[in-house]
Amino acid sequence: MSGRPARSGPPEGGPTPAIASDRRRVSSWFETGFGARLYPYLLVLPAFIIVVGVVIYPVLSGIWYAFHDVTLRTLNRGTISFVGLRNFERAFADPVFAQAAWNTVAWVVLNVVAQLSLGLSLALLLNRPRRGIGAFRAGILIPWVIPSVVAVLTWRWMYEPTVGIANELLLRVGLIAEYRPWLGDTATSLLAVTVESVWKGTPFVMLLLLAALQMVPRSVIEAAEMDGASGWRKLWHVILPQIRVAFAIAAVLTFILTVNNFNAIWLMTEGGPLHSSEILFTLAYRYGFQRFDLGLASAIATLLFVGLVIATTLYLFLIHEREKD
Amino acid sequence: MNKRQLLKTLALAATFGGARTATAQQGANLTLWVNAPMAGRDAPLFAEIAAFQAATRHRVSVQAVPHLEMQRNLTVAMSSGAGPDVMSLDIAWVPVIADAGLLLDITDHARSVADRYQPGPLLAGQFRGRHYAMPWYTNNVALYVNNPMLAAAGIRTAPTTWQEFQAAAIAMTNRERGTHGLSLAAGPTGIFQVYSFIWQNGGELIDPSGRVRLNEPEAIEAIEFVSGLYTRHRAVPDTVLTANSWDEVNAPFLQQRAGMLISGDWALGAIARNAPNLDYSVHPLPRGRRAASVIGGYSIAVNANTPARDAALQLVEWLSGPRSTEVMGRYERIAGTMAAVAPELIARLPANQRAFLQQAPYGVPRPAVAGWGDIHSNVMARLWDQVIRGAAVPGAVAAAHRAAAAIMAR
Repeated sequence: MSGRPARSGPPEGGPTPAIASDRRRVSSWFETGFGARLYPYLLVLPAFIIVVGVVIYPVLSGIWYAFHDVTLRTLNRGTISFVGLRNFERAFADPVFAQAAWNTVAWVVLNVVAQLSLGLSLALLLNRPRRGIGAFRAGILIPWVIPSVVAVLTWRWMYEPTVGIANELLLRVGLIAEYRPWLGDTATSLLAVTVESVWKGTPFVMLLLLAALQMVPRSVIEAAEMDGASGWRKLWHVILPQIRVAFAIAAVLTFILTVNNFNAIWLMTEGGPLHSSEILFTLAYRYGFQRFDLGLASAIATLLFVGLVIATTLYLFLIHEREKD
Repeated sequence: MNKRQLLKTLALAATFGGARTATAQQGANLTLWVNAPMAGRDAPLFAEIAAFQAATRHRVSVQAVPHLEMQRNLTVAMSSGAGPDVMSLDIAWVPVIADAGLLLDITDHARSVADRYQPGPLLAGQFRGRHYAMPWYTNNVALYVNNPMLAAAGIRTAPTTWQEFQAAAIAMTNRERGTHGLSLAAGPTGIFQVYSFIWQNGGELIDPSGRVRLNEPEAIEAIEFVSGLYTRHRAVPDTVLTANSWDEVNAPFLQQRAGMLISGDWALGAIARNAPNLDYSVHPLPRGRRAASVIGGYSIAVNANTPARDAALQLVEWLSGPRSTEVMGRYERIAGTMAAVAPELIARLPANQRAFLQQAPYGVPRPAVAGWGDIHSNVMARLWDQVIRGAAVPGAVAAAHRAAAAIMAR
């Protein structure tokens, strides 16, 4: 013992009695009455401000632009004028818009169906306890972790029409008789980009579904086996219902990520040749940043946004109804 | 810096009235955006900036921006009232950015020093009769020839006329060996390679009055000639259908699968890096009815909203002025000055760079109209993509003509 006299006040460096008293008063203000009602709003205020700034404001300003004549010139000379639905009329009158809309549907359906079916197959395959299965699981994730620009450019060179390895492989297995310009042919450009997109996106779906599969109680599967359920019936009636929420999430996320997958198409084909792989997202970019017709680009982006909201809501509604059943 | 340069700098500062303001006395803070290749490690630009800072007391922050992102970033930043005080910009972007009111009108300065510059690059900084940018460096496209492939085809000298060019392309094509005569690109890059031929044939894209002249026999004939090298003679590899970057256009030439390449001086670096042992030579483009080569390059301009106009203009003068001849030489590029094309300077250059300088007097800028970016990227690129896929040239040109006229009318 040092023999130092005991202190009755706060420890050294701690708040003085007056400050401690203030803190208690503030603290008690947030515990009752108006303060208690305000408290949760104050906690979410920083997040709310960020969401308004980086999500809600851009969306609303994009919708506002869609109804105005916004070009580089009008924007910088302060002569933006309200044009009503004229930007939408211009979009619908443009034959490229119709082609891009159709391509967007094909692009989304092909990607979602292929990624979900392949992702589920891989998840079921990798859910089995086997020696070295961890290495396989890690290996299959490689496409997902490769930066998308690197992946896209690698595929671009693989598709090269005169020395690309894709042509050489297909030729050797007898699927083609001569080299083909996969990205340069209007009939195959969208399909060629879809292959890259499916290759890149499937591991993410697989990861989501594998996590869900591992949560399925073993006892449920064993009960089905004891009841004599075959492999397909077990999958259809036991396993899939157990992972339907994860499957729905995977489907919605794949849908949104596919619609917004700008990198793959822009870096591989720039929407070409002759708009054969143009989707609405690349078309909006083209009008916005090549033509600098921001009103028209915003009209297309708004249509895309509304379509995404409707499709996602509809899908989640159907899932919800099925849950109730 | 010697005494003469110092005096000149001081005189320049006085001319722009910088010494009269408090800002100039203290020195202004300037931000300069340049295309990334000009601001690599140990780039000559940094020594120039240091000299400028020492001479003027202004401070310059250099920011490198990749070429592919430069136009978008510039327009977005400047439209929001921010962006650099001074910027380098591709000469093809000047009209659209000037039309938006984002560039400072520097006509008085440009007219006072006009005789120092090559006409083509100077004209490329003009929009509706006013000057918005000064030449920084210029380039044009020439003909790269693989010497052994040319000799193996039984041809002694590089082609100088369209007929010789076509004959050489066909002669160098050998299906069994997988070789072709010429590497061409798809889309915007491909049509950029064709512009020179349209002008060589006496054709025009858009005349100075803004009238679209694409649908004229000279232009149609030129497009038929170049596209026919692929569609009729198969003297171009299938990469013409997919190549949309210069790397992809260069690849067949670097790999000796194509005997000729139409490209600018930027291909010299690509060849030196990727195929240092390639035996090749560079020649002026084969002539049609007249000599012509499309001009590329970068200009220097001032942000219309900069708070330090005088200092920014001083920096433009410094970078694009007489010193640029030597500085661009260190980059192995051609400055936009008349001094850069002096015969004694050409004679001192490596042989493969001479063709570009020999063609400088025949350089033709692309149309200086606000809609040119849209016309080039969407209308002309579509036209090229159609004709190399076998569409009849007159019909495709007529459609492109109408689309370009609609953009001009907007």
